[in-house]
Amino acid sequence: MGFDFNISLFIESIPYLINGAKYTILFSIISILFGIVIGLFASLMKISKNPIFKIIGNTYIEVIRGTPLLLHIMIAYYGLAAFNIKLDYFTAGVLALSINSGAYCGEIFRAGIESIEKGQMEAARSVGMSYGQAMRFIIIPQAIKRVIPPLTNEFVAMLKDSSLLSIIAVPELLRNARQLMGTKANVWSPFLGAALIYLVLTLPLTRVASALERRFSKGGV
Amino acid sequence: MEYKNGILHVRNLYKKFEGVEVLKNINFDLNEKEVLVILGPSGAGKSTLIRCINRLEEPSSGEIIFNGEKIDKKTDYNKLREKIGMVFQKFNLFLHLTALQNITLPLKIVKRKSEEEANKIAIEYLTKVGLKDRANHYPIQLSGGEQQRVAIARALSLSPQIMLFDEPTSSIDIELIKDVLDVMKNLAKEGMTMIVVSHEMGFAKEVGDRIIFMDKGEIVEENEPEEFFKNPKTDRAKQFLSKIINI
Repeated sequence: MGFDFNISLFIESIPYLINGAKYTILFSIISILFGIVIGLFASLMKISKNPIFKIIGNTYIEVIRGTPLLLHIMIAYYGLAAFNIKLDYFTAGVLALSINSGAYCGEIFRAGIESIEKGQMEAARSVGMSYGQAMRFIIIPQAIKRVIPPLTNEFVAMLKDSSLLSIIAVPELLRNARQLMGTKANVWSPFLGAALIYLVLTLPLTRVASALERRFSKGGV
Repeated sequence: MEYKNGILHVRNLYKKFEGVEVLKNINFDLNEKEVLVILGPSGAGKSTLIRCINRLEEPSSGEIIFNGEKIDKKTDYNKLREKIGMVFQKFNLFLHLTALQNITLPLKIVKRKSEEEANKIAIEYLTKVGLKDRANHYPIQLSGGEQQRVAIARALSLSPQIMLFDEPTSSIDIELIKDVLDVMKNLAKEGMTMIVVSHEMGFAKEVGDRIIFMDKGEIVEENEPEEFFKNPKTDRAKQFLSKIINI
């Protein structure tokens, strides 16, 4: 068969691939938003002085980062179904991706928070702020700018890794490409189409990231 | 009560860091409106001592009595810190906030002032330290001396009863130190109770009411400034003073 790229098949496949890309984008955006919220709590637990919180935060982050996303997706879909918790592919997909990205976001936030100079927390405490107030008004606002680049990387990874959702039949970009391969009996046209669309999605994100960084930059920090 | 006269009493204070005693049996009293200067070589435990007073460090044992009340686990540290202002060697201004916001934010959060009230107070204190025209500058746009004066204004704006200064001029370019010291001198003149850890011998001599000389975690000598610089009682103080040029 060899390199069977066919320009007309390629063009023909684009609309169907874009349909898949809509799912890729939707899953990624929803999951990163949940992931950010989960990650913020996970990081605060991990750096907390309370040993129970610390253990919970640490265990969550280590277990998730030490196991493959494909496994998380299967557990959310098939594993929970074994307990009669039957999630549709949408819910199972968002659940798996959110919990997975929560762990990575958690590490990103922890690093961001710990990169803020110790004197900032001390000064905040010295004027009578509680630990929570110091975190909320002094540390986290300064950490936000520093976590934007790694969060962007995390989002790019999510756009690509959501292709693993094809295992539970989510009609996302790569699954649609694979289907086209079957129906059109052609390998290279749909796959190069999928590659092109992934690049169109991921390449502009670095620009968005630097715009966001400027937006959140105050006082040069 | 035996402690009714002074504002602050430190009794048998010890502090250990991982088994190393950095403070050993510290005892002193502080009266209202008094300026106490703590001198000593680096590593003497001066900073640790004043950080124990506002509980940025937890002492290993001993007592600190503030306003007639013992500071212990039951004390609300946040309330305590409202009453004991601190100025740091590295200024520690909130870097994402302007000079004005550095002062208004604690007023709004801690003292629950309205935006309007907080702004008014902040301008008042910025004027006091001569930096009203820098109100909308971020710390990065200010010199070290200016940052430190904003930091002093921030601490003062909460109307503390005691001000702690932890080597306030050690990170400042030499030509800008005077502005900071002038602010501190004025403060002393107005009757602020102050504990100053410093290497500024001129300031200690001119403004200090009392000197505590520390070495290796202990108070070696407590003396009047005049006496301390002219006739130090202890050999260690003599040695220390002999190494310092600009008295």
